[in-house]
Amino acid sequence: MINQRSFAQFLGWGIFVLIVGVVLPLGVRQYQVALLTEIIIFALFAVSYNLLLGYAGLLSFGHAMFFGVGAYTVAIVLNHISGLSFFGAVMISVMVTTVAGFAVGSLLLRHKGVPFALLTLAFNALFYAIATKWHSITGGDDGLSIRLPDINLGFAHLKTGDITVFYYITLLIIGSVILFCWYFTRTAMGQTVLLVRENEERMKFVGYNTNVSRLILFVFTGFLAGLAGSFYTLHYQFTSISAISIDMSTIVVLMVIIGGTGSFIGPILGACVYIYLQDFLSDITDRWPFIMGLIFIFMILYVPRGLSGLIDSFGERLRGRWHLRSSVEMEE
Amino acid sequence: MSDIPVFFLHGLVYAGLLFLISSGLTLVFGMMNVLNLAHAAFYMLGAYFSYSLLNATGNFWLSLIVCPLLLFFIGAAVERFLLRRVHVYGHVQELLITFGVAYIITESVKWIWGNYPLGVNLGGFLSGSVNLFGLFYPIYRLFMFFCAILISLIMATVLYKTRIGIIVRASVDDSEMVNTLGINVPLVFTGVFGFGAALSGFAGVIAGPLLTTYPGMAAEILVDAFVVIVIGGMGSLVGALVASLMIGELQSFGALLFPKLSLALMYMLMAAVLIIKPSGLFGEEQ
Repeated sequence: MINQRSFAQFLGWGIFVLIVGVVLPLGVRQYQVALLTEIIIFALFAVSYNLLLGYAGLLSFGHAMFFGVGAYTVAIVLNHISGLSFFGAVMISVMVTTVAGFAVGSLLLRHKGVPFALLTLAFNALFYAIATKWHSITGGDDGLSIRLPDINLGFAHLKTGDITVFYYITLLIIGSVILFCWYFTRTAMGQTVLLVRENEERMKFVGYNTNVSRLILFVFTGFLAGLAGSFYTLHYQFTSISAISIDMSTIVVLMVIIGGTGSFIGPILGACVYIYLQDFLSDITDRWPFIMGLIFIFMILYVPRGLSGLIDSFGERLRGRWHLRSSVEMEE
Repeated sequence: MSDIPVFFLHGLVYAGLLFLISSGLTLVFGMMNVLNLAHAAFYMLGAYFSYSLLNATGNFWLSLIVCPLLLFFIGAAVERFLLRRVHVYGHVQELLITFGVAYIITESVKWIWGNYPLGVNLGGFLSGSVNLFGLFYPIYRLFMFFCAILISLIMATVLYKTRIGIIVRASVDDSEMVNTLGINVPLVFTGVFGFGAALSGFAGVIAGPLLTTYPGMAAEILVDAFVVIVIGGMGSLVGALVASLMIGELQSFGALLFPKLSLALMYMLMAAVLIIKPSGLFGEEQ
């Protein structure tokens, strides 16, 4: 379903983002680079969440279960398998998350709407309980520290402990996965998901098994969240119980709602705004989650389309005025 | 094995508490098709209000009356000023707004009362024990259980024997039709939502002294209440009652028999219900 024009658009955006991403860390402090890395990781997490909420219309309150499974798996395999490479650990982690996504997804398959939201929350609580109780593996409340393995490409030896090097690795891998997500929304599969949201009965009538489409999407978003989670652990070289908690699910809901569910770019915007706002507010006051909550309610009540919706309508207004002026000129 | 009756009673007490919370949740869901994620936050507010009132006056009975009343007004205000505004946007927005309210309440509680557990000191005869057929059992737990039964009986009477009850039950079935018949359904919604919040707050007041009062208490009981209404069937009061008893006893005996697995048991039961009958034991097929 991807045509020439949208492919050109896709490439254009990709190159633009890549250039911005490459240039941005030059000449800023290490702390800022670490913040940018965090934004990229959370952007993927938010994008994966929006594939569920914005594209499939499924509201989940348990997306952190996959983020957390990814985060813990990376830490566990790096601690227990000696000599495991960076990419090996990431690969194992996303495979485990995919399996977890399939297991949970098959149970949730028949539900949508409110029961779906409720069940995802319950499953998140189950995963959280496992992570707290299974002390011998997950370290319980203490969390797990890791030693980050360097990447040896043969011709180059990348020191992953260096913040800037890690930033570029994250940008390359997570950035291309985000681009792939954008591509995915344009494929036949991505469009199917959209159509199921709009009119499930008709899709069934046409001959689609809508439950299977939903399951595939659910597993895919789980896989993406797991990848984000594993990079979260690699970034901090530590994982804690907060990675799999309902608080983490809350964060992604806030990001996506602030950014807007109606467009692909919304959640990425939301992740940027959330992380910079958190960084800014937490310097001023300990009560920053409260302010985030107020912003959240405000967005729901007055800006239901989020920041990206705001930008869109602003753009439309500008363009509308421009069209108006040009049409007036034409008449003259 | 004198443990078994004790754990059985413990289970009943917890089931009573769960029923107080899940009945409001399931009633609101049945009527408005809104899953109120702030429901457990009201429960937590009840516990915290009661803590402050006890510190100020030392009268537990007073807080038993005042706190649910306060919660009624808070609940009604949330419905009237927040939920109703997003109603036109659909269920996702409604869920999100209750989610936001829950988040804000939790953060306010951390702000006002601090992010640590508070002990509630009851004093008086409630803190003693009673000899129950040769078994010493804390009076307070029995008191909780009787409160739960009393409230459930009052609720059943109101729902099944009065005019208001008929309207509420009819709105659960088909709120649009009730509205057409000339009944102010939005007002009924506000009332039921506030009533659910009050019930939840009442549960919080009686739970405060037994379970610790801390900012995580809402999330903890919310998940249990969700499991109850998933097992019982969403919107079904009978289902909530049966499932509360099941979960209460399961948690209690789970802690006795398989301490390591006790948490997972509840979810295993939920998963089993989901596989066998996805709409819940007493739920209607969608």
